[in-house]
Amino acid sequence: MKKIEAIIQPFKLDEVKTALEALGVDGMTITEVRGHGRQKGHKEVYRGQEYNVDLLPKIKIEMVVPSGLADEAIRGLAAAARTGKIGDGKIFVYEVVEAVRIRNDDRGDAAL
Amino acid sequence: MMGTVERAWLEDALISLAERSGRVDHAVTEAAEGTLLPAIPAGLALVAIGGYGRRQLFPHSDVDLLLLSAGDRVGEKQQQAISEFLQRLWDGGMRVSQQVRTPEECLEVHDRNAELNISLLDQRFLTGDRALYAGLGQKFPRFVENHRDDLMRNLARLTRERHAKYAGTFYHLEPDVKETPGGLRDYQLVHWMAQLREADGARVAQPDAPAELRQAFRFLARLRWFLHRQSGRDNNRLTFEAQDAMGGSDAAAWMREYYRQARAVYRAAEERLENAEAQSSGLFAQFRDWRTRLSNRDFAVHRERVHFRSQHEMEQRPELMLEMFEFAGRHELKPSAEAAQQMAARLKALREYFEEPRTAWEALKRIFSTGHAPAAVRWMHETGVLTALFPELEGMECLVVRDFYHRYTVDEHTLVALENLWKANGGYGDLLREVEQPALLLFALLFHDAGKGRPGGAEAEEGHVAWSLRLADAAMRRVKMPEADRETVRFLIGHHLELSAAMRGRDLADPRSMEEVAHQVGTVERLKALTLVTYADISAVNPAAMTAWRAEQLWRLYLKVHHELTRELETERIAGAPVELLEGFPVRYLRTHTEAEIAEHVALEERSRGRGLVVEIERRESAWQLTAIARDRLGLFAVLAGTLAGFGMNILRAEAFSNRWGLVLDTLVFEDPNRTLELNPTEVDRLRVTAERALGGKLDVRDLLRNRPKPKPPSRKQRVGTRVRFDGEAGSTATLVEIVAADRPGLLYDLASAILAQGGNIEVVLTDTRAHQAIDVFYVTVGGRKLTGEQEAAMGEALRRACGE
Repeated sequence: MKKIEAIIQPFKLDEVKTALEALGVDGMTITEVRGHGRQKGHKEVYRGQEYNVDLLPKIKIEMVVPSGLADEAIRGLAAAARTGKIGDGKIFVYEVVEAVRIRNDDRGDAAL
Repeated sequence: MMGTVERAWLEDALISLAERSGRVDHAVTEAAEGTLLPAIPAGLALVAIGGYGRRQLFPHSDVDLLLLSAGDRVGEKQQQAISEFLQRLWDGGMRVSQQVRTPEECLEVHDRNAELNISLLDQRFLTGDRALYAGLGQKFPRFVENHRDDLMRNLARLTRERHAKYAGTFYHLEPDVKETPGGLRDYQLVHWMAQLREADGARVAQPDAPAELRQAFRFLARLRWFLHRQSGRDNNRLTFEAQDAMGGSDAAAWMREYYRQARAVYRAAEERLENAEAQSSGLFAQFRDWRTRLSNRDFAVHRERVHFRSQHEMEQRPELMLEMFEFAGRHELKPSAEAAQQMAARLKALREYFEEPRTAWEALKRIFSTGHAPAAVRWMHETGVLTALFPELEGMECLVVRDFYHRYTVDEHTLVALENLWKANGGYGDLLREVEQPALLLFALLFHDAGKGRPGGAEAEEGHVAWSLRLADAAMRRVKMPEADRETVRFLIGHHLELSAAMRGRDLADPRSMEEVAHQVGTVERLKALTLVTYADISAVNPAAMTAWRAEQLWRLYLKVHHELTRELETERIAGAPVELLEGFPVRYLRTHTEAEIAEHVALEERSRGRGLVVEIERRESAWQLTAIARDRLGLFAVLAGTLAGFGMNILRAEAFSNRWGLVLDTLVFEDPNRTLELNPTEVDRLRVTAERALGGKLDVRDLLRNRPKPKPPSRKQRVGTRVRFDGEAGSTATLVEIVAADRPGLLYDLASAILAQGGNIEVVLTDTRAHQAIDVFYVTVGGRKLTGEQEAAMGEALRRACGE
């Protein structure tokens, strides 16, 4: 099993969700986050006053998928989230040792 | 899925409450006799308290048991006996919630455990040391009588905390029938307050429930009984599934009945709470009595409530009801129960009266412009006046729309949206103060989801927005709202989902996307209004919906679109305009002015033709505005700023536009902090004439300023240092100059004069004041160009001097 964690642009969430669901990934956790990578923050001017925007709003998606599905999910996710511009985000992949469904103690892929 | 409810046992629910208590009594006594009493024959009594004490045990509610102990130490052997006793009860399927207390502890006020004091109001001896209990039973009524105020205050506090957990409303889509406002706990509150009030030293009474609540209690009790039976545990949440089971094919209609019952309980509880809070605060009583002086010819204020002076007058003149809400909204005073009844009796007549098109909008606008307008609208809703006036809103009353994120019924969502709009702070609060007609925002919000009650609901072919528009249109026509205002409301309702869609689905960093949104919105004024409507709408979905993250996203969207709408500061000029005045104005002028305003400016320009200048002063919603048209000459803006300062006015924002023919249009929005103009109407004309004389060069502005009183300088701590900053990138043809300085009357005039003295021309001014700090932003050109480095240095020096550095 792999855990896939992706930081994406907020406006890409619907597209990414649709792409993942089409691949059969339907369990995921979504969090509203702020942060910056190489994109860094920038300045915005309103009524002559500058606002520093250091941390940009992003969406974090987390999911655990069977190892066989991981590559496909990563490809689908990246394709849906890509605009080709700075700030598109990143995907991180981790090995998962075990998964347990609390309700009935299912283990491994069956718990996903 | 759950089956249909068996009505027969529901009918018996009330009897069943007592029956279950009887069975538990039997089990407790038997277990005590088998375990507890042989080990502790004296010095321990078992007392039923709380719901169990009242003999109202629901199938899975806790069994509240007091183990009254003579001493505060319990020996090991006795402890073992107690554990065995409790185990036996648990094994018998009872969830026991036990407390071991001495009689002395039961006769103390527990501020941190007020629940204990309250649960003892319903005490009932079960078994054990009767003499020990008799001591408590005898002293307890005296204790209640002596500490009545403290106990009431604690009970009120607990209740307020519980209400706050449910955002103070009973209109939840899936309410908790015990804890939600208007639930069984509130029914008990009414009962407890009566017990506390009537306790007389000799006994704590068991007063009869008020007649109007008996039906509600039966309804709620049966419902809770059903929920326990259906889920097999102490579950009190009326889920959608349970609503279907109770309501059969028409769950929505059944829920309306639930809200009707909950409302009766909530109102009674709220009244008891307010009375208790008023009694426990001497300061509040003083304030309340002081507020009685607000009474006037039409309304009397008594104990924080508004009454009609004359019922006859009210019957003769239905508008008086609207004036009541204006009065209520202005002073945050609720209509009295008596006034509510009088209005309820006249609702039919009111509805018939307003069925005819009448100019009610003016009266409504006054209500919507008061400081507590959302509260006034809530009271209109509660008394039924709102739907008598706007039957279009009936469809959304108590309407449950099932989805994952809405927490309230549609009408409650609407009222919460109004409240959230008024409570908006930070940037959103600033936006609200900048909006010209907040009343239109309230009206648009009032109707934005009205269409959800359309026939067919979510299944209907026509979307809810289209239906809301249709309902709002009918209502606006009937109250004779001016066409321009109707257009604004139509825009806000019609587009109320678009900014949240853009927040989710648009790339805020992509200029083309933002350009499209800007194109949809059209003008800055509309952008502000729509941003506020969106803010209020999202935050009224549920208490957690407007996360800091979302508020920030919406604000970013606002900034981007605002920038998009105003970026052609100077570059793009209007060419080939149908009206001469507009020829050569920056395109931004069209973005930032409504059609009505443009028409006013055109008319004003015609009036200026004789003398070459004209000044107009008029009252806006929350401020005043001076508009001047004159031949362009250096220093025009400084003259106007100086004149206003000379009259003690505080300038909030200002703009200047010059057209191709050298004609300048200046608008200055200002506050009248001393209400000079409001209280002395002749001063308006004097100000206008003075401004015209100053513009015509017949009067030196410096003379006006000489006599102004000097303001008290801020304390050292508050003193702000002067900051002057130049930005050549902010505008395409002008340099931005930002000055942050300690505010004082005439500052803007001095700054403008300093810029003028350096050969600068002011293209745009934006000013803001916070506490003693003024933030003034000028877009300045010298000889039609941006400033050079040298010019910036010289002007910076002059500006700092003007600030007194």
